[in-house]
Amino acid sequence: MDFFSEIASFFSFTEPNVRVVFWGSLILCSISGLVGTFTLLRKRSLIGDVISHAVLPGIALAFILGQQKNPAYLIIGATVTGWISTFLVDYITKNSKIKSDTAIALILSVFFGAGILLLTHIQQSGNAAQSGLDQFIFGRASSMNMNDVYLFTAVGVVIVALTIVFFRGLTVLSFDEEFSQAIGFPNPWLRLILSITTVITVAMGVQAVGVVLMSALLITPAASARFWTNSVPLLAILSVIISGASGVLGSTISYTYAGMPTGPWIVVVVSLVAFTSAIIGTRNGLGRKMLLRWSNNRKILRENTIKLFYNSEQEQASYTLEELTKKSSIEAASLTKGLKMLVRLNFVTKQGREFVTTDEGAKEARAIVRKHRLWELYISRFMNLQPDHVHDDAEGIEHVITPEIEKELEKELEYPLKDPHDSEIPYE
Amino acid sequence: MNSVETHNLTVIYDKKPAIWNIDFTLPAGLIIGIMGPNGSGKSTLLKAIMDIVEPNMGYVKLMDKPLDDLRDKVSYVPQRLSVDWDFPASVYDVVAMGRYAKRGMFKKLSSDDKKRIDESLEMVNMSAFQNRQISQLSGGQQQRVFLARALAQDADIYLMDEPFVGVDAATEQAIITLLKNMRDQGKTLLVVHHDLHTAQDYFEHMVLLNTRLVAEGPTEEIFNEKILTETYGGTLTTLSKVANVLKEKDFPMRHK
Repeated sequence: MDFFSEIASFFSFTEPNVRVVFWGSLILCSISGLVGTFTLLRKRSLIGDVISHAVLPGIALAFILGQQKNPAYLIIGATVTGWISTFLVDYITKNSKIKSDTAIALILSVFFGAGILLLTHIQQSGNAAQSGLDQFIFGRASSMNMNDVYLFTAVGVVIVALTIVFFRGLTVLSFDEEFSQAIGFPNPWLRLILSITTVITVAMGVQAVGVVLMSALLITPAASARFWTNSVPLLAILSVIISGASGVLGSTISYTYAGMPTGPWIVVVVSLVAFTSAIIGTRNGLGRKMLLRWSNNRKILRENTIKLFYNSEQEQASYTLEELTKKSSIEAASLTKGLKMLVRLNFVTKQGREFVTTDEGAKEARAIVRKHRLWELYISRFMNLQPDHVHDDAEGIEHVITPEIEKELEKELEYPLKDPHDSEIPYE
Repeated sequence: MNSVETHNLTVIYDKKPAIWNIDFTLPAGLIIGIMGPNGSGKSTLLKAIMDIVEPNMGYVKLMDKPLDDLRDKVSYVPQRLSVDWDFPASVYDVVAMGRYAKRGMFKKLSSDDKKRIDESLEMVNMSAFQNRQISQLSGGQQQRVFLARALAQDADIYLMDEPFVGVDAATEQAIITLLKNMRDQGKTLLVVHHDLHTAQDYFEHMVLLNTRLVAEGPTEEIFNEKILTETYGGTLTTLSKVANVLKEKDFPMRHK
C-alpha cells in the first residue's frame, strides 16, 4: 500500500486498532494541552519533566506487585511515584538550602534510575507478561486498547470539568499567589488540583508518548499557543487544539510507517508547531519583528525622501531625480523607491522629469524638519550637547517622535522658534 | 477604633526570626508608614498580617476581629516585582481580580462590579490603557494597575508593600495624592516604604522595624534622630547573637 492509501485507511477506521489509536491520542494530547497551560503559566515546566520520569518506577513496581500489565494498576503505580516526586522536590526546595534546579535534577535522576533498574530486573525475570513494558520509555500508541480510551475519556471529562469550574481560582493563583491567598482563595486546594491533574495526565500519557518525551507534550502546546494569544482562556483552548491535532497527526504518521514509535512523532509534530509559532506568531513572533523592521525602514525612507523637498519659504518645491540624488546621501535605488511611495501617497506629483510637492507633501516635509529641530534643541538643552553634536541623533529620533511626544517637546521647550543652529523651526 | 493589632507576632524564616515579638495597636483612618532597613522584616510583617506567611507565634486582629471574619475589608498590594508581568492578561483582567475578592471563585461579575472596575481604573488614570497587555506597561503603570486592583476591592484597610519602588516621580505624586484621598474617606493605609526623605511628608503615623519593633507612634513623636539611629544603626548585638545561636544549634524558640 502506498502512503496515501495508508493514511486513507487510517482515517476510515476500518481496523478497530486504528480507532483506538486515533481517539486515544486525541483525548490524551488534548488533556495534556489543557493541564500544561497552567504548568506553563506557573513556571513549573521542569516539574512536569520530573513527574514524567518519576512515573517509571511506579509502573515497574505496579507490575511486580500485580504480575500483569493491567493498565489501571500501572496508572495507579505511576500516579503514586509521580506524586511522591513532586512532593519531594517541593519539600527539598522549601526545607533545605538546595535550590529548586538542583532538587529537580536530583529527584529526576534518582527516580528514573530506579525505574530503569526495576525494568531491567523484570525483563530478566522471564515473566512472559512483561513484554512491551519497556515501551513506556518511548511510548507506543498502538499498545493502547479500547479500555484505555474509556479511561482517558472519563479522566479527561473530570479534568476539563475541574479546570472550568476552578478557572478563575487557577488563573489568579498562577498570576499572583500572594494575592490569591490574601483574598481568601483556597491556595492549597487549587495547587492540589493542579498537581493531581498533572500527575494523572502524565501517568496516562506515558503509555502513548513515553516517559522521556511526556514533558514535551505537556509544555510545548501551551508554549506554542503563547505566541498567538494574550488571554488565559484563549491560551488554554488553543493549547488543547494544537496538542490534540499534533497527537492525531503524530500517531497517524507512526501508524503509517510500520515500527515507528508514536511518542517521538507526536513530539516532532508539536515541536514543528512551536517552531512555526515562534517565527510567525502574532505575539512576539520573529515574523512580527521582521514585519515591524520592514515597516520602520519604509517609514524612515519615506520621511527622509520628503525631507529633501523642504524649504524654509514653505512653498512647493520641485526637483528632478538627478538633483535629488546630488542633494542627498540616500542611494539612488532607494531614492527611486522612496519617491514612488511619495507619489502613491500624493505627497509629490510627477510632472515631466520634475517631482513637485503637493500641499500635503510640503506639510509633511515641514513636520519632519520640525521634529528634527525640536529634538536638536531638546538634547542640546537637556543633554548639554554642543550644537554641532546634535544632528546625528536627531536624524534617527525624528522618525520616532509621535504627535503626543511632539506636543510635550513643544511645551517643555516653550514653543521655540529657532533650533540650536539658529535655523527656523517650521510650524504648521 | 483600632485598625491593626499584633500580639507578640513572630515569624521564623530558615530557623531565624524575620520579625520578633512585634506588638502594636494601630489607629484607624491614617496613612501609616512601615519603615526600617533592608531585611528588617517589613514585607514579612505585612504578609504575616495577611496570613500569607503563617506566624510561628502571636496573632493578629483587624478592627478587633480575626482576619477571616473581614477578609473582604482588607486589601493587600504585593510588591510590584513579585509577579511576572509577562503573564497573559490585560490591565482590565488584573483589576477585575480585585472584584473576585467580593464575588469569590464562582460568581459571575455583575454590571455593578464592572462599574467599580471602570471607576478604579479611572482613579489611577489608567482607563485609556484598560485593554493594554500588562507586559507592555512601564513600572509606574504596573504599580497603578496594582493600586486599581486594590481599589476595586472596596476595602477599609489597605496593606501596600513598597508601592513607590521603581515608579517615576509623576506616578509617585499621583499615588500619594490617591492615598490621601483614600485616607480622607476613612480608609486605613499601611505602607511599606524605605525613603527617609519623603517619609515625614507621606505618613502621619509610623512603625519603625528592625526585626524587633523599635518604635510605633505619631510621626512627630517618633521620627527623630535617636529613634532613627536605633532603627537604622545596626542590629542589637545580643539579640542577633541569640538569633544566630537559635539557627546554628537549631533550638526551638518556644518549648512546652
